Amino acid sequence: MSSLAQEVALGKSLAAGLWCIGQIAIEPQENGRFALNHREDAGRNDLIAHTQPEKAAEIARFDDAGKYRPLKTAPNLRRGWRLVLESVAELRVALDLFYPGRLDVFVAWENNALSATPLRETLARQTGMYRVAAKIGEEEANTLVGNFCASDGGCLRTIMWRRDENGTTPSTLLPAEKFDPRYDQTGLGETVIPLLCQEACNLLVAEARKSVQGQDRRGQ
Amino acid sequence: MISRSCSALLIVGHGSTVNPDSSAPTLAHAAEIRRRGIFADVACCFWKEEPSLRDALFFFRDPGIREVYVVPNFISEGYFTRTVIPRELELTGAGTTRHGVQVWKYCDPVGNHESMTERLLQRAREVAPGAAEAETSLLIVGHGTELNDNSAVAAKEQVEKIRALDRYAAVLNVYMEEPPLVSDWLKLTGTKNVVVVPFFISDGLHSYEDIPALLGIESGSDRGRHELHGRSLFYSTAIGTDPKFADVIIEQAKAFDSRKPVLQSAS
Ligand code: SF4
Repeated sequence: MSSLAQEVALGKSLAAGLWCIGQIAIEPQENGRFALNHREDAGRNDLIAHTQPEKAAEIARFDDAGKYRPLKTAPNLRRGWRLVLESVAELRVALDLFYPGRLDVFVAWENNALSATPLRETLARQTGMYRVAAKIGEEEANTLVGNFCASDGGCLRTIMWRRDENGTTPSTLLPAEKFDPRYDQTGLGETVIPLLCQEACNLLVAEARKSVQGQDRRGQ
Repeated sequence: MISRSCSALLIVGHGSTVNPDSSAPTLAHAAEIRRRGIFADVACCFWKEEPSLRDALFFFRDPGIREVYVVPNFISEGYFTRTVIPRELELTGAGTTRHGVQVWKYCDPVGNHESMTERLLQRAREVAPGAAEAETSLLIVGHGTELNDNSAVAAKEQVEKIRALDRYAAVLNVYMEEPPLVSDWLKLTGTKNVVVVPFFISDGLHSYEDIPALLGIESGSDRGRHELHGRSLFYSTAIGTDPKFADVIIEQAKAFDSRKPVLQSAS
């Protein structure tokens, strides 16, 4: 099978010196292999080694306290592991499990093919139990995004969407770097493959719904 | 026709923000299908997990990929297959052309495939090896009628098909929250052996805790045989965790191309 465009693009990013993605460091090995570990585990020699790319799903599923991670780009990736992979193809499979969908979105962005969806549009599209989320007020949305998406404790993605069609900033509570794909959202200051957020995730939509329902209850 | 050079597969799952086991079977089936090398690319996306259905709009940007088979890993047609998936994936019908050259083919949900009956039968045989079918009641557990969901209808159809084979002493539908209730299994059956198969995509809290509690066996207890009230009760994992589900996903993708043209224009 020929290398897919995504694998080629990943190879190029690595060649350009992008050896970090989110909380993960990628280290080139001999014979085209790669070794991955948590960036904060650099230099440790007591890491538990794995060789199956699919192992990434298991590593990413729970945090250090054993709690399920509903948001894979939250800054709570488990530590203590090392994953050795045979090829760029395997690397792509593993990264797609650690940070699902982020490589494809990054490649689309690099090719000027990424379109971001304003938060208001995402909310307005919802049906069923999430339809009510669209009723969230401006002030509440500003606070919610500022807290929920913050890189420090919330989510390591770089926000590419705006709050509405007029280009309102997603939240005045977030620093300018939160919208800069060149910025390392972990704060470690390295060059990274950014984790881009081109559209609000289902978790943020669910939080918006909760916020509206809380308002309704308080208003009664 | 599926080709390993220009066809891709997108498996759409529900996923969960609270249940770590929800997406595991979908990911496992994707890994298995990827391993077989039938498609140029295989990906998953989820309603409640990452990657999202919206992320999937940026997948398969390789110019060599000419068709994307979108297979919902759902038990039946319903709110998700009719409303959420087409909306989020911006599908305009059975076939949607993207970037001028790529066609996204919207397949039927996995649970609809005709081989599902055989999967349920095989599951029942695996969980209760040696139990004579003529002395066994087979209970198929469905969710019930939540949110415009046809899973109860799909479960009924399966029961009717299995009943028509006339192999088991009895074949019954049971539900968790509406009659006939799974908790009434003892009253509903009169045979020595009772086999219970959840007609679900994944082993969520329902099949780990709720159903065992309703059956009167310890929650999270081992699947397999339980001796209760002088009967042998055999409890299976959710049908969607069956490794052979990967075959059904592939079959459902193939079935798209053999659909009659009149069906292809339906949205
Ligand atoms: S909306 Fe985007 S940035 Fe905010 S939490 Fe969800 S994925 Fe992260």
